[in-house]
Amino acid sequence: MSERDRRLLVFAALAVALPLVLLAALSLGSVPLPAGSVVRSGLARLGAYGPTPLPEMGEVILWSVRLPRVLIAALVGGGLAVVGAALQSLFRNPLADAGLLGVGPGAALGAVLAVNLGWAQQRFLAMPLAACAGALLALLLIYVIAHAGGRPTLSGLLLTGLAVSALAAAGTSVLLVAVEEFRVRTVLFWLAGGLEGRGYEHLALAAGFVLPGAAALLVLARPLDVLSLGEEESAALGLPVHGVRILVFGLCALVAGPVTAVAGSVPFVGLVAPHALRPLVGPLGRHLLPASFLAGAVLVVVADLAARSFGEYVELPLGSVTAFVGAPYFLLALRGQEGRG
Amino acid sequence: MRGLLLALLLAAQAVPAAEAPLRVASLNLTADELLVELLPADRLVAVTRWADDASMSNVAGRVPATAVRLPRADLERIIALRPDLVVVSEYTDADFLRLVEKSGLRYHRMSGLETLAGIRAAIVQLGRAVGTPDAAARLAARFDAVLAELARRVEGDPRPRVLYWGDPHTAGAGTAIGSLVEAAGATNVGREMGLRGIVPLAGEKAFTADPDAFLVTLGSGASVALRRHPLLSRTRAVREGHVVEMPNHLLVALSDRAADAAWWLASRLHPARVPEAAPPPKLP
Repeated sequence: MSERDRRLLVFAALAVALPLVLLAALSLGSVPLPAGSVVRSGLARLGAYGPTPLPEMGEVILWSVRLPRVLIAALVGGGLAVVGAALQSLFRNPLADAGLLGVGPGAALGAVLAVNLGWAQQRFLAMPLAACAGALLALLLIYVIAHAGGRPTLSGLLLTGLAVSALAAAGTSVLLVAVEEFRVRTVLFWLAGGLEGRGYEHLALAAGFVLPGAAALLVLARPLDVLSLGEEESAALGLPVHGVRILVFGLCALVAGPVTAVAGSVPFVGLVAPHALRPLVGPLGRHLLPASFLAGAVLVVVADLAARSFGEYVELPLGSVTAFVGAPYFLLALRGQEGRG
Repeated sequence: MRGLLLALLLAAQAVPAAEAPLRVASLNLTADELLVELLPADRLVAVTRWADDASMSNVAGRVPATAVRLPRADLERIIALRPDLVVVSEYTDADFLRLVEKSGLRYHRMSGLETLAGIRAAIVQLGRAVGTPDAAARLAARFDAVLAELARRVEGDPRPRVLYWGDPHTAGAGTAIGSLVEAAGATNVGREMGLRGIVPLAGEKAFTADPDAFLVTLGSGASVALRRHPLLSRTRAVREGHVVEMPNHLLVALSDRAADAAWWLASRLHPARVPEAAPPPKLP
């Protein structure tokens, strides 16, 4: 099979898989809804079918609770996977993902602060907005500190991110110790990742950053391909290396920050999706980025379905489900890379 | 006269019978305990799974079999039960509540449970919300009677200084446990130290506070931890065996049973004034 045919096959498979898993996720849950009825209910909303076959209770569950949650899962997965693909090109490391950006600990600090101050219980969207602000502040701090001594190298940027992450994590620990025990569950659930209780407003918050951010990264696909050749080679080809690097870094953080704010920590998605797809669709950004978005969306929708299906007494943390899949994959990939090295 | 005025006021503010919720779902243990007292069995459609757990619940064994036991706050399941009122706690996320509203459900949020006065007010408010203000007034009256009798009995007796020890958390001002300690005729050392809320306390500070007694949760291991602690094992309270192990269902009671919890604690701290065998006053 030619590389082009293989790529087309992968895109076709993803294009079929995504609607199927979305439908499965809309049908399955604490209250099962027949897939056919879900489809007919959707058509009824569009005016293309008579009255919905779902009872009123089913309509409420489908349209008020399940649909926003499933769409957020798709956006979270897609966003993280695109960010992972972009960072793997940027860092020329196939095992890079959003965890390198330092936005996760910043978001966690914002979220814990919102819980500690009681905002999360009193004000709608306080927790995701505080987490988003934490993520963006961390990004700003990384940028300012890294540029304090002139243009930073890639490793300088990374190490600054690590230091800011450590600071934010330390602040989170202090607040966690001080938080009232009744509020601890809220914090722990957020830190472990999950989509319970998320509605259309959370969807709008995530979509407002993920869709334009992912689109902008796709526009930068070609400069990213050039960057993956190496710094000197890119500069020789006339690419403004520092500017593109900062732009990609900033866009990745702008996508990953709100995603983390809405869903908490969802690890390994950004690593697994692009890493698994690279041998199938090739390393070029214009193929890898959209394929990663679709695969990431499929992965997180399925993971969220598993998270809410398996635990009767408590919903499994979404971050744990993705880690159960992602960590073994990461170890295998690492061994493979070391074997090649 | 005051009682009559209160009854009239409550009746005026109560949900009219026609609008009173007929299907009430509870998402917290305190509401479970109160709703079992306030509602007929057929109007209580869901309680938390903790309601049947005797180590946590004061109504274990009394919850109507018809009420669904919710393993968690699963909104889809709650919607499927078609409740016309969902009772949530102060700690429920605002984002979750917005989704509850968007799903067309009405909710009542219990709050102010960090003081006994707040618990009393919450009982009355819940009674109004579910349309049974008279039953709530009776619960509140019993609550008042138990606490008044307790205050009368411990009056004039020296107040022991009690430190709640949750290894390493303690209860400062503005906590239900702190209020419980004070109602039981003791001084809350956490409040005395200027602490607020349930907060961690360093062992050295607990040691220097030198409480007359430690209050711990029975079966939590805190009592053993105190005796093994390099510093706290040497406090006067531990050496003299003044560690009160309170059953968890009483210690976490934020319903009308908080008055019984205060009575229980007082019987340990003031055994001459509040004999263990003496039951709390019955409903007036």
